[in-house]
Amino acid sequence: MEFFNSHVLSIMTFLPLLVGAGIFLVPSDQFARLAALAGSILTFFVSLHVWHYFDAASAKVQFVESYIWMPEFGIRAIFGVDGISLLLVMLTTALLPLVILSLWHSHVKNLRFFLGAIMALQTGMLGALVALDLVFFYVFWEAMLIPMYFIIGIWGGARRIYATTKFILYTVVGSLLMLAAAIVLYISYHRQTGIYSTSILDLYSASLDPRTQLWLFGCFALAFAIKVPMWPFHTWLPDAHVEAPTAGSVILAGVLLKMGTYGFLRFAIPLFPQAVPTFAPILVFLGLVGIIYGALTAWVQKDAKKLVAYSSVSHLGFVVIGSVALLADGSLSSEALTGALYQMINHGVSTGALFFLVGVIYERRHTRMLADFGGLASAMPWYSVILIVATLGSVGLPGTGGFVGEFLILLGTFQSSPGAALLAGTGVLLGAIYMLTLCRKILFGPLTHEENKKLKDLTPLEFAYLVPLAVLIIVMGVFPEFFIGKSKASIEHLAKNYRSYSLAIDSH
Amino acid sequence: MIWMMVFLPLLGAAINGLVLRKAPKAVSHAIAVAVMLASFACAVTAFVQMMGAGGEARIIHGMPWISAGGFSAPFNLILDRLSGLMILIVTGIGSLIHIYAGGYMHEEERTSRFFSYLNLFVFMMLLLVLGDNMLVMFVGWEGVGLCSYLLIGYWFQDDANAAAGMKAFIVNRIGDIGFLLGIFLTFKHFGTVSFSELREMVGSGTLDAIKLGAVGWITLCMFIGACGKSAQLPLYVWLPDAMAGPTPVSALIHAATMVTAGIYMMARVNFLFYLAPSTMTVVAVVGGLTAFFAATIAMVQNDIKKVLAYSTVSQLGYMVMACGVGAFDAGVFHLLTHACFKALLFLGAGSVIVAMHHKQDMREMGGLSKYMPITHMVFLTGVLAIIGFPGLSGFFSKDEILWKVFTGGGPALWALGAVTAGLTSFYMVRLLCMTFYGPNRSDHHTRDHLHETSPMMWAPLVVLALLSAGIGYLGVPEVLGGQNVFHHFLEPVMMVPNQVAANWGSLTAHHSHSLEMGLMAASVGVMLVASAIAVKLYANGPAPVLGKWATNMRGTYDTLSNKYYVDEFYDAWIVQPLRDMSEFLWGIFDVKIIDGIVNGVGQVCALAAGLASFRMTGSVHRHSMVLVMGLVVLLVVLVV
Repeated sequence: MEFFNSHVLSIMTFLPLLVGAGIFLVPSDQFARLAALAGSILTFFVSLHVWHYFDAASAKVQFVESYIWMPEFGIRAIFGVDGISLLLVMLTTALLPLVILSLWHSHVKNLRFFLGAIMALQTGMLGALVALDLVFFYVFWEAMLIPMYFIIGIWGGARRIYATTKFILYTVVGSLLMLAAAIVLYISYHRQTGIYSTSILDLYSASLDPRTQLWLFGCFALAFAIKVPMWPFHTWLPDAHVEAPTAGSVILAGVLLKMGTYGFLRFAIPLFPQAVPTFAPILVFLGLVGIIYGALTAWVQKDAKKLVAYSSVSHLGFVVIGSVALLADGSLSSEALTGALYQMINHGVSTGALFFLVGVIYERRHTRMLADFGGLASAMPWYSVILIVATLGSVGLPGTGGFVGEFLILLGTFQSSPGAALLAGTGVLLGAIYMLTLCRKILFGPLTHEENKKLKDLTPLEFAYLVPLAVLIIVMGVFPEFFIGKSKASIEHLAKNYRSYSLAIDSH
Repeated sequence: MIWMMVFLPLLGAAINGLVLRKAPKAVSHAIAVAVMLASFACAVTAFVQMMGAGGEARIIHGMPWISAGGFSAPFNLILDRLSGLMILIVTGIGSLIHIYAGGYMHEEERTSRFFSYLNLFVFMMLLLVLGDNMLVMFVGWEGVGLCSYLLIGYWFQDDANAAAGMKAFIVNRIGDIGFLLGIFLTFKHFGTVSFSELREMVGSGTLDAIKLGAVGWITLCMFIGACGKSAQLPLYVWLPDAMAGPTPVSALIHAATMVTAGIYMMARVNFLFYLAPSTMTVVAVVGGLTAFFAATIAMVQNDIKKVLAYSTVSQLGYMVMACGVGAFDAGVFHLLTHACFKALLFLGAGSVIVAMHHKQDMREMGGLSKYMPITHMVFLTGVLAIIGFPGLSGFFSKDEILWKVFTGGGPALWALGAVTAGLTSFYMVRLLCMTFYGPNRSDHHTRDHLHETSPMMWAPLVVLALLSAGIGYLGVPEVLGGQNVFHHFLEPVMMVPNQVAANWGSLTAHHSHSLEMGLMAASVGVMLVASAIAVKLYANGPAPVLGKWATNMRGTYDTLSNKYYVDEFYDAWIVQPLRDMSEFLWGIFDVKIIDGIVNGVGQVCALAAGLASFRMTGSVHRHSMVLVMGLVVLLVVLVV
């Protein structure tokens, strides 16, 4: 127990990888599924432990583990969570069992490899979230790419090679810039202090001149902007989603995209605070364009999956503007920042559900074209209920988590720039337009297509992975304090003190 | 008690919607009605308790809901005379309509989904009227919009219904953005969004110029919200289409309760509106114009529900106009009487529609008084109430508004209201004649099956008819020897802040009784003349002279019957351009330009790599190492 307590984050992070490797040793696919499911649920329980014992009143990083790796270069493996990463960790560990569950009856080729890739991906995501060391963050950040590359490239649709190549190239360009910037930061810190360190806990205190901060912020921001993806770096996303298998899309939209927005909060903003006033307007502008542009393009899509993909561009635009809502006194708006963090989780849940739902009808009809559906509410009433709940979460109806997130983002943005809030507000309207269009084209109207008349409603298995998400959408709207409460101290700390940021280690 | 009242309908919705989805009709109806009656009983008890305790406002504390930074919105409710009245209307009239709906939906195979939505609506509506802060109100506000969307599109197999539901939701969302901006502004300048705290702040001190300016914007933004929900110009377009829903829905949501939310909201923050004279002018004018504009359209509609829909828009205009001249109590009084008589008229129309086998065109009706005597009698009561026949409820509430508009808004606005009263009489009497009098114009098959509806349907109508006839006596003006009980009832809720008291002197000033009597006589005269004209033209079915007029005044007639082409205008100038732009953004900008650049860069790189690989035979690994090193050098050079 002692060992568990002091290594809980590394256990949580590497357990999936371990299980993923073990999957190749088990005799049958069914065992592999069972192992993957058990592994992911176990990981979830470990994360629950972290959630439970996390001290919400403290803005310090908790459950810290530190291992010396290359002392001469100052490279250590430091893991820790604060209120910001904790919520994203929980999102990741909660979503993964559902993803694996959705593959229960799947008979894709090389299922074991597929499951293994998913488990490895989970390690990559969790590692990137808990790493407090630039080198390790970078390693995990890149490590996420490899399983995703296989997931789309092997089990994807017809244009999968184009889509993966695009996805990888886009991301790698950003990553390399980030790596270069990280190296410069490392060198500068050494020149200042004579100490080699890659720990961001140290690097936060580096005092770089403003010009350097601008450049380095720019490099990090580009890497993150591609990942989010922010307009105009978003065109890899629709292709990746359309070609990715359902499980891949859910993970991609549910968690991977948040790595970009998380990167802003953990790295770009607190490491290079003096660049924030310069970059904030640019980011707000790109975010606003993303909100409106993403919504308008989503509206005219004919492929349901592409529609949901473009809606992500719009939703993540909200997260971006909420992350950089500068107030007159130079601090960030904690309301907007809270909203941004919460919106990352909401988006993961509701968009994850939407991708699952698109997958459900794709599996039955082998098409995702809206024109091939219509009137499904008669044939699949429970499916309709869940789709409507997910839609409501996506459009941010009060009573769903989406409302809490969007509201706080807009509230905070309004204190910073009323014009920006007004423009973003149109996104709320446009969101309703494209999502209700989706619902109407799939669910309502006459059942014209013969094939749709005998469609079966949700199976128990589909219920099993959809209902938790639908419930979560509503619970997160009615009891947001339960979730936000854990991150208040960390958010407040970042919002008020990002200009002289430091993360203390909770040593108990 | 309050929480029970609020959550009972939600419980009903959950049972019908999630647990007993396949229940027989009688069961789902019984559940829905039972929770409504229980909820009504709670509402009555709560109301009586509150009035027994002196009618003071009471805050009911609930759980903390959203808080972040300096913002917090707990789940608190407020029970005062205004919300107390609203919960009575919502649960009382709601119960009657729930009972009626069992009969109306008789031909459906199952009704659990229907009653689930209907119960859910009541839950949301109760949150709307009871919320003690703008955010809880907003939950109800959008929640009722959701139920409206679901119920308009209840018969989703017909794409037109689904489209109408979607239109309602989206047009309402435009208003909702206004509401949201109002909330943001309120928080920015007052640091709270709680109604009771705001009221205290405004009541206890003098606001500086900045806050006063902000209040102007806050009220304007909130009014935009009200325009959406209460179907005012230019956002009214969703309401006529909303008639695609089952008729009990039209009665409950689109006449008696939800659409009056805008008026309720303005009355809730009346102390802010009093501070914003410019907004008030806008409110009064928009209300007056809406009342008139919608009434002109109602004059030529042939669909019985469409007439009532435009009539609702018009009556809501009256209420809004009353708010605009500071007579929030008169607006709320009309809200109350309108809830009774318009619910009655819609349900009566529903009975007619059921008897006519779901035909709604009045040109195919006529002479129904013979076949449906009870429906005819109650409908007649409703018509007399809405046109303001002396002694019935609409007379008291409408004349209260017209009088307040005259003293507070001037003769021009009064004239607009009085003319509208004439138009109202005309279209309502026209509807009455075309439906119930003259020869029957339906086909044999329909006529043979014409009969009075079941007691389940007509009993609620009788109750509503009694209410429509009698409820006006709560507000008999002093000039007619009454006490205007209603006005005094709501007085504690209304608050004219001291610093603007001078602007609102007209509300309390003493006016000559003879003038009031004169105006009243004038509006009654207008009503009688307009009714007489309608009787003359329509008593025996549409008179031949109408056809001639329609030909001679083709332009006017077409404009009216096509509702001024407003929908076409919105479609051509807003929806289509937006759609075209979206197609361009995706088809050209996204796919051709951005991806063109991306793919172009890729090809150039591939080309360069091809050239470079003559000299470099390294792995990808080494390529990227070189690349990163190059970038680092570049950055160091740029930075240092």
